[in-house]
Amino acid sequence: MKRCLIVDDSRVVRKVASRIIRDMQFEVTEAGDGMEALESCRNAMPDAILLDWNMPVMNGLDFLRALRREDEGKTPKVVFCSTENDAEHIGEAVRSGADEFIMKPFDSGILHSKFAEIGLA
Amino acid sequence: MQEATFHELADLALKQTGQAIPVSKAYLVEARLAHILRREGFATPDDLVACLNARPNPVFEAEIVAALQTRTTWFFRDRERLNQLVSDVLPERVRHSKAGRVRIWCAGVSTGQEAYSLAMLLKEADIPALKGARIDITATDICRKALDQARGGLYGHFEIQTGLSVHRLLANFERLETGHWQVSEELRERIGFRQHNLVDPQARLGQFDIILCRNVLSNMDASRRGAVCEGLADQLQPGGIVLLGEKETLSAERNCALEPSRLMGGAFSAVDKTRRTQAA
Repeated sequence: MKRCLIVDDSRVVRKVASRIIRDMQFEVTEAGDGMEALESCRNAMPDAILLDWNMPVMNGLDFLRALRREDEGKTPKVVFCSTENDAEHIGEAVRSGADEFIMKPFDSGILHSKFAEIGLA
Repeated sequence: MQEATFHELADLALKQTGQAIPVSKAYLVEARLAHILRREGFATPDDLVACLNARPNPVFEAEIVAALQTRTTWFFRDRERLNQLVSDVLPERVRHSKAGRVRIWCAGVSTGQEAYSLAMLLKEADIPALKGARIDITATDICRKALDQARGGLYGHFEIQTGLSVHRLLANFERLETGHWQVSEELRERIGFRQHNLVDPQARLGQFDIILCRNVLSNMDASRRGAVCEGLADQLQPGGIVLLGEKETLSAERNCALEPSRLMGGAFSAVDKTRRTQAA
């Protein structure tokens, strides 16, 4: 079973996303900030990461850059998921290594569509 | 909504567009008319129909019929066939065309995502045979409101995130202050949008190399499908094809003017006129 790490400081968002992604046949783990997510990836690299932008301790962009520096060829697909949804922010996420971008709020249709774009649905 | 009201509305849709609305979809009728009811101050569809009966108004009727249409669509729906169309079928048509001109018709295009998906694929295509070719895209729908949205290339939060990759979003769309995303002017200028009713036998648009009429026939009453197929066949260039929706078939149609094409799986070509006359 494929694994997905959901990184968001909102417990509600993690809960909603978890339910949808489990229905897509993923095993789900969660992290509340970028640092926690980085530790989780060092222990076991997931196949996909759903990543919030604004979080305490380490934000999504810093996490993504750190991940891409040290993932040693194990490249999980990263789907950014943020309320920062102007073209400039989206472009910055893509240039930093995001494979897809979801603008919040999202529903199961959008999650399915974006995971399909990266070949995981 | 009373049963009689449902039947009046369903009959109106059938008469004007050929759309078949089964009783099991009565809930959809209420949902699709909700914005009209709210705007016009009607409490129920029964009040709306009573008003129409008392004061017939063809313009208002047309708006109601358009609102009842199925408008489900998204970017790059059935993308494998769209890719195949651009990579395999179009280069062949260009080679056989006069002066490198090919005409494509997206019939029943709703809010335009299919036409723009095709325009994006053409923009991205790195196919020698398509270089310098003139590929015209005509996109039609019966619903003026849907066409206005399509013509403006304006999409909301959920529409823009369904079927469209982030790379194509950044390459082809601009975010407006309203929060909508707008298709680039370059793509908007590639497509000619027109209001058109497929069941109107007088409404002919010319000859096309490729007609995409996807997920339209399956919403039509069986009694109207044959005439619509005939119309599509009459508007095909020799050797041209019609593409229906992924799960649509014409196998149950008798004496159909369209038959499976050898050019592409799931595509149809026109039955020769003489054979059609003999079959009739």
